[in-house]
Amino acid sequence: MTSGKRTVSHDHRSKRMRLAGIALIVAAGLALILGIRHQIAQAEVLRADPDRILSNFQLRVTALAGGKTVFERHCASCHGGDGRRNEQRGIPDLADADHLYGTGMVSEIEQIVRYGIRAHDKRGWTLASMPAYASAVPYASEPLPPQTPDQIEALTQFLLSFTGRSTNPAAAQQGKAQYVAAGCWDCHGHNAEGDEAVGAPTLTDDIWLYGGSHDDIQRSIARGRAGYSPAFVHQLSAAELRDVAVYVAAFAEAPTPIYSREAP
Amino acid sequence: MTTTSDPSLSVWDPKAVVPRRSLILCALGAILGLVIAGYGLFTAQGTRIAGVSPENAATVNNVPILRADLIQQVASLYAIKFAEATPEQKHKALNDMIREELHVQRGIEMGLPNDDIDVRAALVGATDAQIAQDTLTEQPSEQDLHIWYAAHPDSYNSEGLMTLHEWVLPGSADEAAKAAKALRGGTPAATLRLKTSGRVDDGEEYYFAARIHLGPAIFATARKLRAGEVSEPIKGTDGFHILQMIANQLPVPTPYAKARDEVLRDFQADKVKRLQTANDRFLSKRADIKIASDLQ
Repeated sequence: MTSGKRTVSHDHRSKRMRLAGIALIVAAGLALILGIRHQIAQAEVLRADPDRILSNFQLRVTALAGGKTVFERHCASCHGGDGRRNEQRGIPDLADADHLYGTGMVSEIEQIVRYGIRAHDKRGWTLASMPAYASAVPYASEPLPPQTPDQIEALTQFLLSFTGRSTNPAAAQQGKAQYVAAGCWDCHGHNAEGDEAVGAPTLTDDIWLYGGSHDDIQRSIARGRAGYSPAFVHQLSAAELRDVAVYVAAFAEAPTPIYSREAP
Repeated sequence: MTTTSDPSLSVWDPKAVVPRRSLILCALGAILGLVIAGYGLFTAQGTRIAGVSPENAATVNNVPILRADLIQQVASLYAIKFAEATPEQKHKALNDMIREELHVQRGIEMGLPNDDIDVRAALVGATDAQIAQDTLTEQPSEQDLHIWYAAHPDSYNSEGLMTLHEWVLPGSADEAAKAAKALRGGTPAATLRLKTSGRVDDGEEYYFAARIHLGPAIFATARKLRAGEVSEPIKGTDGFHILQMIANQLPVPTPYAKARDEVLRDFQADKVKRLQTANDRFLSKRADIKIASDLQ
């Protein structure tokens, strides 16, 4: 009887082993299939016109899922998890429709992530930075006239006047002329509406990268600004670069949530 | 099946085992192999992979041309979105990029990095830039930035401001001393027949501007004067200069929160400089550099 019990037990065990083996093979097969499907989907994201990914449900889901991980690992330390503005750090709002460089298209964002802004890559955005007018040489690459304290105050009043905050209309009027004399128009345009081709912000609205108070604006004019965004060309794969660009572009997609099942 | 050497049987009869057929097939295989090897050897286009990876628009001798770069190239060339470009425009842009890659590869084959000074300068710049680029992808901690800020307090001070008169007296040292004393006593400059130098008459000035206008020596004296004070006469080529300070606002420290962008910029610039210096040392150390005895 003991021998019979042992045989039955052994049969049960080998049956369980067989089942476990089959389950393992099935699981491995499923994982392989899912992996291959992901690879195929990711390849589609890479082959697609980047500016059309967000309007294609399948491509969108694949890119956003990959992009979220990359963003949290490489971008959130500066931009925060939600991509919101941080004026103290000069971090732009990724979720609004105001774009410093380009117009917010995925292809443009991908170029920024890949080659950076003032990140020592000549393929990135390195055309201009904000001169420091309260210094002997305000701008190294172009001769610009240093400004006196009065002239900087006049420029500040002029910029505040666009949002009705000027406290000295006469100075604001003087600042209008100074805007031309100091060469501000060269980047920000004659109408002060900025130029996304060089990353010059609009000065007529109330969106400020480094704060919009009187003192903040005065400091920007006096000391200059030159924020940067790293170039991840050697850190991230092509798929990661594309995915995170899509993820960032989706921040500005209001009001559709980025994980919406519906394509916008 | 049967093995036969009977010549009357067909060599190509699949039902029969024919040694001659084996030899013929072997020979054909060998010839085909030699042809392929010879073609590969004499056309020499390098190892080919089966296709183009999805992120690439093309490869040139296995060097990829990125789709992302092609999209950028089309946008730059025609100022349109990639989707709006015609197939001809896309082909033109891609062909330009392929041509560029071919020329780059040919240039390397020809040893242009050794011969062309522009290529050499570009390579030196690009090597340094690469170090800087990699450095910027790592963000320093707030603690590191605070330490840097604390170690370089003067770098983040505001620019000082001063408003002053600079009087010039062509007379003797005694006359100048008397004039300075009278100024301190409240006598108007016009009464003393003092003339302005005209160098600081525009009102309030930043320190950097005053330094340029007055020159380093006179500025050093001016910087120490408080509002209302009059300097001792300073001998110049055109007579004695007397400074009368109206207002002197010393530089004040900028709080860390307001100066953070500058602190980060300086911190990273210093890190880049240190790494580039370390890279120079590393390259020299691992290289086999021999210097002629008369130049050592």
